[in-house]
Amino acid sequence: MSKLSFRARALDAAKPLPIYRNKDLPDLNDCVSINRAVPQMPTGMEKEEESEHHLQRAISAQSVFREKKENMVIPVPEAESNITYYDRLYKGELRIPKQLFHIQPLGLDNEQPDYDMDSEDETLLNRLNRKMEIKPIQFETMVDRLEKASTNQMVTITEAKLLLNEDDYLLKAVYDYWVRKRKNCRGPSLIPLIKLEKRDGSTNNDAYVAFRRRTEKMQTRKNRKNDEASYEKTLKLRREFSRTVTILEMIKRREKSKRELLHLTLEVVEKRYQMGDFTGEVLSEVTAPLAEKPVYTVPITVTNGNRHNHKSGGLPYHGYHHVSVKDEDPFDFVRPKKKYTRREPLCRPGRPAKRQHIVNKADIKQYDFHSSGEEDYPLSPSSEPDEENDPDGTFAFRRKAGCHYLAPCLDQTSGLLWDHPELAGLDALRHRQSLTALSVPQRCVGLARRRVGRGGRVLLDRASSDLDGVLKQLDSGVFSSSFPKDLSDHQVPTQNHRTMPGSASSLTDLLSNIQALRWRFFRPRSTQGDASGEGRTGRPSMDNRLSGGLFVHTKNSGSGGITEEQYQVHQQALAQMQKQQLAQLQLKAPPPQQHFSLPERQNTRVHSLSPLTQMHFHLMWTSRPPHSTSTSQGGTGLDRSGRTPSSGGPLLPASHSTTPQSLPNHRGHGSAVSPAHHHHNARPSPSSLKLATMATSSLDRVPKVTPAISSMAR
Amino acid sequence: MCVLLRIITALLEIETQGCRLPVLRKNQENEDEWPLAEILSVKEIPGRKLYYVHYIDFNKRLDEWVTPDRLDMKKLQFPKKEAKTPTKNGLPGSRPSSPESEVVRVAGAGPQHTPSRPPQPQAQQKSIPTKTSLPDFQNGTARRPMPNQPGRKRKQPPNCGGTDEDSQDSSDGIPSTPRMTGSLVSDRSHDDIVTRMKNIDCIELGRHRLKPWYFSPYPQELTTLPILYLCEFCLKYLKSLKCLQRHLTKCNLRHPPGNEIYRKGTISFFEIDGRKNKTYSQNLCLLAKCFLDHKTLYYDTDPFLFYVMTEYDSKGFHIVGYFSKEKESTEDYNVACILTLPPYQRRGYGKLLIEFSYELSKVEGKTGTPEKPLSDLGLLSYRSYWSQTILEILMDLKPDNGERPQITINDISEITSVKKEDVISTLQYLNLINYYKGQYILTLSEDIVEGHERAMQKRHLRIDSKCLHFTPKDWSKRGKW
Repeated sequence: MSKLSFRARALDAAKPLPIYRNKDLPDLNDCVSINRAVPQMPTGMEKEEESEHHLQRAISAQSVFREKKENMVIPVPEAESNITYYDRLYKGELRIPKQLFHIQPLGLDNEQPDYDMDSEDETLLNRLNRKMEIKPIQFETMVDRLEKASTNQMVTITEAKLLLNEDDYLLKAVYDYWVRKRKNCRGPSLIPLIKLEKRDGSTNNDAYVAFRRRTEKMQTRKNRKNDEASYEKTLKLRREFSRTVTILEMIKRREKSKRELLHLTLEVVEKRYQMGDFTGEVLSEVTAPLAEKPVYTVPITVTNGNRHNHKSGGLPYHGYHHVSVKDEDPFDFVRPKKKYTRREPLCRPGRPAKRQHIVNKADIKQYDFHSSGEEDYPLSPSSEPDEENDPDGTFAFRRKAGCHYLAPCLDQTSGLLWDHPELAGLDALRHRQSLTALSVPQRCVGLARRRVGRGGRVLLDRASSDLDGVLKQLDSGVFSSSFPKDLSDHQVPTQNHRTMPGSASSLTDLLSNIQALRWRFFRPRSTQGDASGEGRTGRPSMDNRLSGGLFVHTKNSGSGGITEEQYQVHQQALAQMQKQQLAQLQLKAPPPQQHFSLPERQNTRVHSLSPLTQMHFHLMWTSRPPHSTSTSQGGTGLDRSGRTPSSGGPLLPASHSTTPQSLPNHRGHGSAVSPAHHHHNARPSPSSLKLATMATSSLDRVPKVTPAISSMAR
Repeated sequence: MCVLLRIITALLEIETQGCRLPVLRKNQENEDEWPLAEILSVKEIPGRKLYYVHYIDFNKRLDEWVTPDRLDMKKLQFPKKEAKTPTKNGLPGSRPSSPESEVVRVAGAGPQHTPSRPPQPQAQQKSIPTKTSLPDFQNGTARRPMPNQPGRKRKQPPNCGGTDEDSQDSSDGIPSTPRMTGSLVSDRSHDDIVTRMKNIDCIELGRHRLKPWYFSPYPQELTTLPILYLCEFCLKYLKSLKCLQRHLTKCNLRHPPGNEIYRKGTISFFEIDGRKNKTYSQNLCLLAKCFLDHKTLYYDTDPFLFYVMTEYDSKGFHIVGYFSKEKESTEDYNVACILTLPPYQRRGYGKLLIEFSYELSKVEGKTGTPEKPLSDLGLLSYRSYWSQTILEILMDLKPDNGERPQITINDISEITSVKKEDVISTLQYLNLINYYKGQYILTLSEDIVEGHERAMQKRHLRIDSKCLHFTPKDWSKRGKW
C-alpha cells in the first residue's frame, strides 16, 4: 500500500470494484486521503454559478444526509396556485380515454382565427350588435384576415372589401375600428407574434428574436472544425451513392427480364418446333389475332410433308436449319436480299405480305438469340460447314448488329431464286446467279450474275460455289447434249439445267432450255405455285405449288406420262428418304461435324451420301425439278451419272458412288414426277404462259453476253 | 445632510446602473439580510422609482425590482471605470435597448466619484470575484469578461473544457451567431442587459400564477403587462383574461398535442416533434425560458423532441414539466432542457422526468447525459437521481458464492444508462471510491445507507417501464429531423 502504487493507477471503468460496508473495513481510515487520487469530475455547471451562495449551502447540507433541512433548499420566486376562476375559464370535463392519445399528423387544423377578441373589441361588438348581429368569432375572423393580409402596410378598405365578404356597413365599421386600433397598438400586429429574424442579419443580436431558421448546416461534431464544404461533399457523396445503388438495382432488374425473355423465346421456339410451326403461322396467329387469316391454304399442306419428316425424325430445330440452308447456299449467296425482292410479288396474290413479315420477324428474333449464344448454333447460315471450301473466306457473310435478316423459309423459298427468273420479274434478274456457260470458248463459268456496267458492257459477276470443281470439268458439248439420264445421280441434272441457257443458240434450243428450266421449276415445295395457283381452282391443295411448276413445264415442254398416282408415290418415297436422312442427321450430335461425317455412315446404308449428294438430297427435297427432268430426258442422265463420280472434285469423296439399291428409289422419283407433267398438260394457264415467255426473253440475252465475258477473260 | 442626500439621489438618477450596494431582502427564514447587490436598471413608475437589482452570488432568479428604501446608499460602490473601453468596442453593435448608452454616460461620469469607490473590495463575502464582475459591469452590456471565463459560453465547465478547442474561440472572436446544436445558451446576447433582466412579471397558466425567473422573448408588447395569460393546454400567450376566454372557446386541446407514450396513474408523457408541431414547441420553449437561465431560443425547434409530463384531472392533462431532447445528439445528450414548473417543484416530479429520460435511453440502448451547463437546481436534481440510482444498484448486489459483491463502472453505466463520467462523479461525490490494499473499492458508509433508505422511502413517484410505449426513431436516416 505504498503511495506510489496508487498514484500510478487510474480508475478503470472496466475493472470490477468490490463493494465494502464501512464496518467491514476497520482500517479504512488509513486510506481515506487516497480518495483524492481520483480526479475530480466536473459538476457540469457554470463555474461562477457553482459558487452561488444557496447552491453551496444546499450542497453542503445534502452531503451530510442527516442535516438536510427545509431552509437548505435553494430559494425560488414564489408561485401561486389559487386561481379561483379556473373552473369557469376552463369549461367542460375530460374523461380519460382507455387508449393513449395519438395525434394524427395534419389533424386538428380547423382554421380558427388566431386573433382573440379583447374587452375593447367586445365594447365595439356590443355597439354593433345593436344594429346587426355579429358574433365574436365572425369579428375575430375579420380582424384575423385583415391582420394576416397586412404586412408592413395595412390593407386598404378596397382590399378589405375583397378580403372580407361582409356587409358593407359591418365591414366599414370593423375596418375603421381595426385601423384605429392598429395605429394605437404598440406591437407590430394585433396578434402578438414572436419577432421574426430579418435576413440582413440586423436581428442577430436582438434578444426578442427567437426561433431563427437554421440556415447553416448542422455541425456534425463539436470538437472537429468541420468546414461546411466537406460536410456538403459528404452529403453529395451519399446522395450519389444511393443513386448508384438505384441504378444498379434497375440494371439487375433489366437483366433479369432479359434473361426471362430469352428463356421465354426459347420456349416459344421449342413449342413452335414441336407444333411444326415453321412458317410462323401459329405464332402470328397467337401474337396478332387480329391479323387477316390467309385464304390460301396450300403452304400448310406442303409444310405438312416437312413436318411429318421432322417429326418422325425428331430432328432438333437447328438441324432443320442446317438442312435447309445447305440446300441453298451453294447457289445463292445473296440470298437474303434476293429472297426479299422475289418474294414480294410472289406473295401478293395469295396471302397478305403482312403475314409474311410477321413470320420473318419472329424468325429474326429467334436468330438474334442464336447469334448471341454463338456456340449453340454453329450451323447457322453464316457459318456453314462448307466453310473451309467456301471461297468467301474473309468475305463470308456475317451478321451485323441492327440489321434484320430474314430467315430462310424452307418450303417456300429454297431453290427459287435462280430457278424462276420469269416469276420474279425482270428486276430480279439482276440479282440472280445462274449457272452460266460461255459459247465461244465453250465452257461453263459456274454461277454468275449479269449486270450492265459502264458503257453498256455486260458484266458477269461470278460466284463461287462448291460445285465449281465439278463444273470446270464439264465441257460445253456435254452441257448441250447431256441430260440427266441416271436418276440416281441428282447433281448432274441440276448442273445441266443451269448451264443450259448459256449454251443455247437457236430458238429451238432456247425453247428446250426453257423446258430445262421448267424442270427445275418442278418443285413441289416452291412458292411458285402462289403465282400460278390462282389460275387453277379446285385443285387439290396439296399440289398447289407443285402444280404451278408443273403447269408451266407442261405447257412448254409438252411432254408427259406421269400420273397423279405416280406423283404421290414419288412424294412418299421422297418423304421416306428425307426421313432417313434426317434421322441420321439427328444422330450426329455435334452439328458441325454432321456434314463431313455423314458420308462414311451413309455408305453402309441405302444411299451413299457424299457432301454433294447430301446437298442434292436437299435440293431434291425442296426443289425437285431434277427428277422430273430426268424422266423426260431419259438416257443422258445416266450418262452423266457415270461421269460425275469420276470427275468429282474435292467435294466428291472417292467413296461416293451410287449404290444399286439407291437407284430404284431415284427412279421412283423420276417416274413419280413425270406423271405430274402429264396431269397438268391438259390445262395451260395464261399466266404461266406469259411467265414462260418472259423467262425466254430474259434468257435470250445470255448468249450475247458471253463474248463480253470472253473478251474480259482475255 | 439633506443636501447630501439630494446629491446622492441625483447621482443615482444618472448613474445607478452598475453600482453595487447592500440591498435589503428577506431570507427563507423571513429574516432581514443585506446582501450586496448590483443595480442593473432603473425605472420610474408614477410616484416612485424602482431599481432592478441582482444579488451578488445569488442566482439571477432572485433578481427583483426594489424600492429605493431597500437600498443601503451609504455603502454604495461605483463601478470601476478602467476595463470598460476595450471590451466595449468589441461588443456587437445593434443593441435594441437603451442600457448601453446610459452605461456609457455612467462610465463617463465615473471619475468624478472616485472617492466613493475604494471600499468596494471589502465586500463581506469572500467569494465575490471582484476582478471579473467589475469590468463586466463597466461594459454595461457584457457582464462577463472573456479572458477570465473561457468556459462561460460553453456547456462544458472548464475542467472538461480544457481539451475542448471550441471553448477557446469564444474568448477571442465574438461569434455573430451561436452554434446550432444543443439548447443551452452560447450566444453573446445572453450577456445583454436585456436578457439579464426578467421581462415578464407574472404568468397565469391554468390554476397557477408563476413568477418568471429569467428573461423570455415573448412578444415585446406583452412584457409590459402585469400578467401574461397562457392557455394551459396549447400554451398560447394572450394579453388579457378576456382574450384567454375567447381563445378557450376555440381551443379544444385538453392535453399536449402529441402522442402519449407513457401513462401510469395520472402521470402521462407526451412526445412532441419540434418540427411537426412548431407552434406548441415554441410556446413551450417560451414558457420554459422563463425558468431556465441558460436555455437559448436563438434557433428553431426542429431538431428537438419535447417530452411533456402531465398530470391528469377531470379538466385535462395539465403540464407539470417537460424535457427536450435532440433528435440526434453528437455528444450523448439525452436531455437538452429539463424543467419542472415551479408549482410542482420539490415534489419528486423532477426526478421522475430524469428517470423517464433515462428510460428512453434504455430503450434506445444508449447511455446519456444532460446537456451542460447544468443549473444549480439541475445539478442537485441530477446528483440526487444518480446517487439514488447507483446506490440502489450497489445495495442490491448480493454476495456471489461467498465472494464480496463487485461491479464495474461500465456495468453501472450499462444498467442505468447513466453516462460513465456521471457515474464516476456521483461515486466521487458520495465519497464511495476508496483505494484499499492496492485496488479501488467502493465503500458504503452507514450515513450513506441510511440516507439512501430514507430518501427512497420518500420517493413515491417512479417510472414504470411497462407503461412506456416508445419506439426510438433513427433520425439520422431522415433527411432533416
